[in-house]
Amino acid sequence: MVFPFRRTIQAKGPDRFLVHLGTDERAVVRAVCEDLTSVLDDGDANPALRRLFPSAHATDPEVDRQYQEMVHDELLSSRKEALAAVAASADQAELDRATLDQWMIGLNAVRLALGTVLDVSEDGYPDLDADDPELPAWAVYEFLGSVVDACVHALAATLDDT
Amino acid sequence: MAALAAMPAEVEVEEPDVDETVEEDRPWIVLVWNDPINLMSYVTFVLQKVFGYSHEKAEALMLDVHHKGRAVVSSGTKEKAELDVFRLHEHGLWATMQKD
Repeated sequence: MVFPFRRTIQAKGPDRFLVHLGTDERAVVRAVCEDLTSVLDDGDANPALRRLFPSAHATDPEVDRQYQEMVHDELLSSRKEALAAVAASADQAELDRATLDQWMIGLNAVRLALGTVLDVSEDGYPDLDADDPELPAWAVYEFLGSVVDACVHALAATLDDT
Repeated sequence: MAALAAMPAEVEVEEPDVDETVEEDRPWIVLVWNDPINLMSYVTFVLQKVFGYSHEKAEALMLDVHHKGRAVVSSGTKEKAELDVFRLHEHGLWATMQKD
């Protein structure tokens, strides 16, 4: 490594994390969380949300029905809470552990919805032209992946200290 | 299951001849399925966080999911399985439950 490498999220202790993101990146973080919140508010029939509310049983619809009846609303509200927490703290230089955890969960949820729309597969990324209309969405998808990964590393590095 | 385990070892237990008993005692298992979106680092960390597994154990399970398509990550009563599936769904993992 010939240049000093700084992670996007830097652990300063078990309950203190620095966020190294630019103004534009923070605006993206807030916007994607607000976007997903409004999609969730429109009802969860949207196919982009398929991965956010998976079936609880591979083959037995009755087990799944009981499960959905029991937890669906809770799953929806905990997700919206995470997205609201991220949007509210998008401009903060420092996050506590609970909020960083919400960033990890909330931004991963956005990535799941976006990845579903982009039809991400194991084959990796498609070869896109510079003027492809999907290019910005792929760039956001990539960016979110790097932030989620940074959240994971920061939280994992301090896991034993909590 | 708990009742059988609590019996003194010397007591002779008749072989259960009714399948139903076995059926009721069979635990539920929770599976995580491979998906192309969730990051490998993320899946590993969620398994550590939700189940308290060591990094080594969580990573081995994640690699099982990645290479074999799925892995059993926990087991227990139906209620425990439902809670585990819920926590995994909260984190966006593709989890299902079934009788073992």
